[in-house]
Amino acid sequence: MIAIDKLCYYSNLRYVNAGEKFAYAVLTVLFCVASRSIPMAVLVLIVNGILTVYKGGIPFSRYMHFMIMPLVFLLLSTLAILINISKTPLDAFAIAVGKWYITSSWQALSQGFQLILTALASVSCLYFLSFNTPITDILTVLKKMRCPALIIELMLLIYRFIFVLLDISSAISISQDARLGNKDLKTAYQSFGKLISILFIRAMKKSNSLYDAMESRCYDGHIHVLSEDFPPKKKNIVLIILFEIILLAITIGGYLL
Amino acid sequence: MSENTKQNDIILEAKNLYFSYDGEKTYSLDGLSLKIKRGRKVAFMGANGSGKSTFFLCCNGIYKPSKGTLYFDGEPVDYSRKGLLKLRGKVGIIFQDPDNQLFSASVYQEISFGILNLGVSKEEAKREVEKVIEYLEITPFRHKPTHALSGGQKKQVSIADILVMHPDIIILDEPAAALDPKHTTMVNQIVDQLTEEGITVMMATHDVNYALSWADDVFLFKDGKVLLEGDAVSVFENIDALKETNLEQPAVMQLFHSLCRKKILDENLPVPRNLDILEEYIENIKN
Repeated sequence: MIAIDKLCYYSNLRYVNAGEKFAYAVLTVLFCVASRSIPMAVLVLIVNGILTVYKGGIPFSRYMHFMIMPLVFLLLSTLAILINISKTPLDAFAIAVGKWYITSSWQALSQGFQLILTALASVSCLYFLSFNTPITDILTVLKKMRCPALIIELMLLIYRFIFVLLDISSAISISQDARLGNKDLKTAYQSFGKLISILFIRAMKKSNSLYDAMESRCYDGHIHVLSEDFPPKKKNIVLIILFEIILLAITIGGYLL
Repeated sequence: MSENTKQNDIILEAKNLYFSYDGEKTYSLDGLSLKIKRGRKVAFMGANGSGKSTFFLCCNGIYKPSKGTLYFDGEPVDYSRKGLLKLRGKVGIIFQDPDNQLFSASVYQEISFGILNLGVSKEEAKREVEKVIEYLEITPFRHKPTHALSGGQKKQVSIADILVMHPDIIILDEPAAALDPKHTTMVNQIVDQLTEEGITVMMATHDVNYALSWADDVFLFKDGKVLLEGDAVSVFENIDALKETNLEQPAVMQLFHSLCRKKILDENLPVPRNLDILEEYIENIKN
């Protein structure tokens, strides 16, 4: 979470219009999910990789580290589709275990592979957005899309509070460590329980103080703030439209064939 | 308004204020009365829990005293929604811990919050935000998220939050708390600039040396009321009152009095308010 937050502030694509990035990411995800096409997923993975690593300047090792996490999760969760335990061997492979077979069909393998690639391509779109766009810019886009103000304000405050509470929990945790608060499993459990309870109390106090501070600046129940707009570029819009037309063509082609 | 009238004009007055956090079992403000003159630099000093921060929150209308009256510009504070918004537009408060003040993820958004709440147009708000960003030298970190700022930068942003609203009074609650000497100097310079512009500045501080050199008026708080008030020199001459409020006499005054006792300096000289003046006195002996 914090790593992603730091990366997006140092990305070379940070000052590209957030609406362009948002539209690209969302439309591409929609096409990926709608088509479930393997070539499209591969194309999207390559394009997002180039955009994030080459254009955005996110280190390749960092990007791969983040991509491997969902890949492992996807592999584990698609095991049920890929592998069957059956008395009848299927066409792809069959490993005999007594009277039973660990087996799979070509169709199941293809379906699993398609699912993994589609999900991974979709995740890469979301990574593209989150690695290159600060949360405040995303919230500005959501505001322009008429997302309810209450939701946007809650997201803004939650985002801010995550970091405030992380700071507090880190300070408390260090203080516990310094006084042998984690010397064995029993004390570690006790310390953790105390950390959670004090964090809850501090969160309440912090939110009260923050509310007072907002009231002191004439808060009227709605958070009115300015956002820094980075104007959209024609070239980017044209490229996005062209890319999405290609994806649309692949999607329609897939349904027709 | 003539310059003289302006100087003696009372901008804020507290008459017999009472405030309790625990259902009137104990009082954080216990019959507090004081007057703040327009355009003055006012230091509020006293032990922790003496009621300084509570008074500040009353000044901004966050807390409503249970008894007594607070006057702003000669008018009793109106606690209706409209009245409070008007008061908060005129009295800005910079909190001790910037993490209790900064709610937004972006520096730019954070600074724009207050001025937009005053009802100004977006264009004007943008101009004012840009001006204050430049004035407080926030440009190098204006694109950083607030959680990635250092303590000093957070303090700069929290001052900008208030400055952009152009209040008549700025309240700083221990502005140098948890800051390194470099950032303390920076904050002090900003405060000096504000006072040169004629804004009334009220500051809670434990730094007696800074208070002596900076403040026009000093209020010593004890148990929710004013123990002693007056110009900085007269207040810091009262050793008993300082002891009662857990304070010590400023070092420059201690040294000056010691040199006077030893007949090195003439005791008829005005009490120096900072080391530079004392140094000048000592240099004059040589000559």
